Amino acid sequence: MLEIEIDGKKTTVAPGSTVMDAARALGVHIPHFCYHKKLSIAASCRMCLVEVEKAPKPLPACATPVTAGMVVKTHSNAAVTAQKGVMEFLLINHPLDCPICDQGGECHLQDIAVGYGAGESRYREEKRIVPNKDLGPLITTEMTRCIHCSRCVRFTEEVAGYQELGLAHRGEHSEVMPFLGKTVNSEISGNVIDLCPVGALTSKPFRYTVRAWELSRRKSIAPHDGLGSNLIVQVKNHKVMRVLPLENEAINECWLSDRDRFSYEALNSASRATKPQVKKDGQWIETDWQSALELVAGKLKDTVAAHGRDSVAALATPNSTVEELFMLRKLMAGLGVEQVETRLRAADFRLHTAGATWLGQSIAELAQSDAVLVIGSNIRKEQPLLAQRLRQSAKRGMKLSVLNPARYDLLAPLAGELIVRPDQMVEALLTVLKAACEAAGKTAPAHIDLSSIEVCDASRSIAATLTAHSAILLGNLAAHHPRYAELHAAAAALAELSGAKLGVMSEAANTVGAQLIGAETSGNLFASPKKALILLNAEVQFDCHNATEALAAVRAADFVVALNPFADGVKDYADVILPVAPFTETSGTFVNMEGRAQSFNGVVRPLGETRPAWKVLRVLGNVLGFNGFDYESSEAIRDEALAGDIAPRLSNALKAPVAVKAQAASGLVRLGEVPLYQLDALTRRAPALQATADAAEPALRANAATLAGLSLKAGDSACAAQAGGKALLCVREDTTLPDGVIHIAGSHPLTTGLGGLFAPVTVERAG
Amino acid sequence: MEKILRLIKTFLLWELLQGLAVTLRHLFAPAITVQYPEEKTPLSPRFRGLHAQMRYDDGEERCIACKLCEAVCPAMAITIESAEREDGSRRTTRYDIDLNKCIYCGFCEEACPVDAIVQTPIFEYHGEKQSDLYYTKPMLLAIGDRYRDDILRCKAADAKYR
Amino acid sequence: MTVYVKGIVFENVDFDLPRCWSIDQYIQRGGYAALKKIVAEKIAPEAVIEEVKASGLRGRGGAGFPTGLKWTFLPKGYVGQKYLVCNTDEGEPGTFKDRDILAYNPHAVIEGMILAAWATGATVGYNYIHGEIFELYQQFEAAIEEARAAGFLGDNILGSSFSFQLHAHHGYGAYICGEESALLESIEGKKGQPRYKPPFPAVVGLYGKPTIINNTETFASIPWILRNSGQEFQALGKPNSGGTKLFSVSGHVNRPGNYEIPLGTPFAELLDMAGGMRGGKKLKAVIPGGSSAPVLPADIAMNLTMDFDAIAKAGSMLGSGAVIVMDETVCMVKALERLSYFYFEESCGQCTPCREGTGWLYRIVHRIEHGEGRPEDLELLASIGDNIAGRTICALGDAAVLPVRGMLKHFRDEFEYHIANKRCLVG
Repeated sequence: MLEIEIDGKKTTVAPGSTVMDAARALGVHIPHFCYHKKLSIAASCRMCLVEVEKAPKPLPACATPVTAGMVVKTHSNAAVTAQKGVMEFLLINHPLDCPICDQGGECHLQDIAVGYGAGESRYREEKRIVPNKDLGPLITTEMTRCIHCSRCVRFTEEVAGYQELGLAHRGEHSEVMPFLGKTVNSEISGNVIDLCPVGALTSKPFRYTVRAWELSRRKSIAPHDGLGSNLIVQVKNHKVMRVLPLENEAINECWLSDRDRFSYEALNSASRATKPQVKKDGQWIETDWQSALELVAGKLKDTVAAHGRDSVAALATPNSTVEELFMLRKLMAGLGVEQVETRLRAADFRLHTAGATWLGQSIAELAQSDAVLVIGSNIRKEQPLLAQRLRQSAKRGMKLSVLNPARYDLLAPLAGELIVRPDQMVEALLTVLKAACEAAGKTAPAHIDLSSIEVCDASRSIAATLTAHSAILLGNLAAHHPRYAELHAAAAALAELSGAKLGVMSEAANTVGAQLIGAETSGNLFASPKKALILLNAEVQFDCHNATEALAAVRAADFVVALNPFADGVKDYADVILPVAPFTETSGTFVNMEGRAQSFNGVVRPLGETRPAWKVLRVLGNVLGFNGFDYESSEAIRDEALAGDIAPRLSNALKAPVAVKAQAASGLVRLGEVPLYQLDALTRRAPALQATADAAEPALRANAATLAGLSLKAGDSACAAQAGGKALLCVREDTTLPDGVIHIAGSHPLTTGLGGLFAPVTVERAG
Repeated sequence: MEKILRLIKTFLLWELLQGLAVTLRHLFAPAITVQYPEEKTPLSPRFRGLHAQMRYDDGEERCIACKLCEAVCPAMAITIESAEREDGSRRTTRYDIDLNKCIYCGFCEEACPVDAIVQTPIFEYHGEKQSDLYYTKPMLLAIGDRYRDDILRCKAADAKYR
Repeated sequence: MTVYVKGIVFENVDFDLPRCWSIDQYIQRGGYAALKKIVAEKIAPEAVIEEVKASGLRGRGGAGFPTGLKWTFLPKGYVGQKYLVCNTDEGEPGTFKDRDILAYNPHAVIEGMILAAWATGATVGYNYIHGEIFELYQQFEAAIEEARAAGFLGDNILGSSFSFQLHAHHGYGAYICGEESALLESIEGKKGQPRYKPPFPAVVGLYGKPTIINNTETFASIPWILRNSGQEFQALGKPNSGGTKLFSVSGHVNRPGNYEIPLGTPFAELLDMAGGMRGGKKLKAVIPGGSSAPVLPADIAMNLTMDFDAIAKAGSMLGSGAVIVMDETVCMVKALERLSYFYFEESCGQCTPCREGTGWLYRIVHRIEHGEGRPEDLELLASIGDNIAGRTICALGDAAVLPVRGMLKHFRDEFEYHIANKRCLVG
């Protein structure tokens, strides 16, 4: 440890620390622009110049390593003179357009200029003007304001993993720009808005709407992926104006994915339902809550009485809160109905684990692993910030391998890669398991048949990376797989053998919470016809594994009640629409993939006559005359729903063995990913996200060989057919896919006519 | 002694004569009452009366929706909503001043970086209902357009003291 | 071009011979003898470094850092890849000596680098040649091939276990790439921008490995030192300024060109060698060490000896040895405008004071030159200079300020006249 004195305060810091680190530890503020704790050191803004005793000139605190006995003065005459000199240089070419700048009021340059800037400028020459750049639908630029701190450049390169911005040209002509004709397409690009210390990069959807000082800051939790990023939701007049990250080192660090940041636009969308609606003779009629609830209660009661309790079922999306799901389950129990399901995109219900499937460890622990094997996950699109963490770990030396149905670019160094057809993922995993067995001289559990498996070099090298301090992760593509139980069982066996921890990256914000309260009980609800259905937040054409089957089932039902913030998605098949609050308008709890229960409050009041779903379900219970529906608050429901310690109820271990056996591949198979911005009702309605490259219309993608076999070429249109339905799509060549794979994204209006996400598909040229 | 003096003054109606003297003096002094509204007293160019929104010479509205006036207003009389106009510039979609709340302090004018919101010397306005004194952006712009010359003359006269 | 030699780099070089750069000519002049001797006698690297230290050889690129000392900065006991880099990115205005070394005696550089590799343990070397002299880059490639064919370069040099690979690398003409860490970035294929130091290249250099960077003339001096002795080299010059040095004389002289002379030679003598002032005009000022060195007026210059200490004492620096001679017709405001424009255009734009300040300096001088000067401008120039110097990542900031300071110190009256009368004092 080295001793250092800063402004008369003494402290000891670890060798290798910089003066800036020491000052931060001491709580001494040194003005800076280019320095950021999560980025590499640039030392280019020179704002953090400080006086160091015995040094002939001022030194940048961010880049100067601490030496023993160093004496630093951050506010001495020499230091302040240097800082003021730099401030003057930064301001001479900075426009005086603070009044129209969205950064005004929360601008580092403004703040620091108050302390170090002069009242009047000595610069009387012409100011520089820099042309703006097109960075896509999320980020707007005002490049004249840029102070060349290069934080955005370093972010895209170091954190996002792919340099999409650069400092081009030289000297005064240097400017930050994307590559020619390109935009910034990273799934975590919005962070450059937070990083930019001036108003050069600002949020496009937020542009010119409100000033920073008008907004109230409210804490919340992101409702999309399983990470549970902490949010600051900023509101004005009960309207959500923007979303920022709330720093939480254990979860999202100081970042936020674009999905979490920009999905708020959907909250103010015109398609929000504001009053209960009832379909009468094919016409939608707005009604009051009382009559709507009485109608629903009566219909449900009658259906159970007339057709038995198996004729009623409830479907909820896994980003419904713990409270909502608990109340749904309780209501169903009151009716005697057991069928409540949240695994809407799953196709295989054979798996039974000893507890709720989860990450197997904390997110922070996962990042410290020696090796990680990711099975069935386009992780950058599924869990953008977790992918970012793993990228940082991989750069530090963690061995990252993947077993995927497509060669997704993780923008991280890979130790091993197995890319196989979706219907051969189990077999590929078995080769790794067999390689691990051979290496360890052990045999696999009896329920796993390895007899026909041939080990290859790739699987051997992946197996070799797995040690006691490593992890095996199952992603969404595994969870949606028709043989998920086998994948999980094989992965569990591999984990057992190698000592690695098995983890499941949950698809949605409350996937773990749903399991904890038993809201996944019945398997495929559409296997037998239903007379009445309750849909909580679910739009079955987008949220289910097999859109055709799901749509047929809801259309066949006599009575469908949809509890949904939006009316347009369910209008086709619902009989009653009850407008319920999205996450910003209700209190609730999400349990993230590491089993952390995070409660949040409503940040704005519900829109129109919208009501929180837990309240709607409670009143429905009252109307039906059930006991135990007297909850006063969501906290009371949560305390009952999650009573006791969560940790012992999390487990990825198999309760009963699942027989795993290799199967042969045949024909064409669909790879039905859920696109990044089609995940849930909110993201599907966020205009800015829908304008990004990631939200491009799904195409029929296949590699050149597969296309040639079908006599198709890129640009053709083709008709894809699966059991029960068809879709007309544009053909694209995709070199990341193995032979025989047809990539057709699911959860999209263009593909709702198709069947299972990973089912066989036939393709023929259209017209 | 004092008592006697006061007694004499009382009997001679001294105070009454003093008062009559004042009356007499004012009888011949020039009158200062003006016959409002036919007659008006002169007004300082700095007078802070009714608000107006100004335009540039080319007709473009000056206001850029920076909301500094809204922020500085001690009576919270100003309400602004803003958005990006089609040409990409920052503009108000709503600019209201509730004159029921306004205390005519002039802070809004002082805060304005583009001299968009000004206070005119106009004080002769009224409303029959409370809502009549709720001025919206078109009303404020109309005032600015109509009294443009007067406003500019006042501002020019006061400019050297600012 | 005039090349006048009383020194060691061009010793015995017959400039008129068409292929005087070739290896056989070089060997005839005694080339590669030092290498053969050292490899044959297996002289310890430490002894080689000691010899270089004894020679008093100081870096010929501009900073004048003792070469032998620099070689000892490599991490002790480091095992792994080390690099050697020759800096032929000769960008300093007024300097053209390295160009001629590569033109007439490239094998001296090659042998110097091989010897340095022997001394430092580097196994791969690069010569970074600026893009404007592409023919010489190609010729240097040919020279490397010659040396390789002769067994002086490559694996198992002269049958020993000593191996050294040398590659030529050409830049694209950015002045900043002459800064050693920007040069490394450029070799790595990145934008030429200086790195923050510490760590210095000797510890974290090319591709993150310990790297020694020296100037072309420095490397070209090594074979002579090791062929003769450090003592002899030292004796050629003055104490603390050992050896001979190439001076690139340009400007208003009759015979501009390179002059290799012992350090400590009086400037007046150098001026005579260059044929004296052109057209018999009067000497007005001299920039003694490249454009970034402060200018010196005639009276100081004429009493100057050309060595590190004397020039520093006079308030300037020896720098790269580019002597720019100006006669009485030169307007110093216009001269500074041109110099400031150069630094403004060549600033890499990475750090604030240099990016913003060099442009500001140039614009003010430009205004003064064009009759739009203001009385406060000279104070402003000085103040901006103070805010740039010593506060930047690399020395370009200082390089931009030093000419301004020199001009204001010695020719302030001319600037004041320009501001007051809106026209030149001269002409």
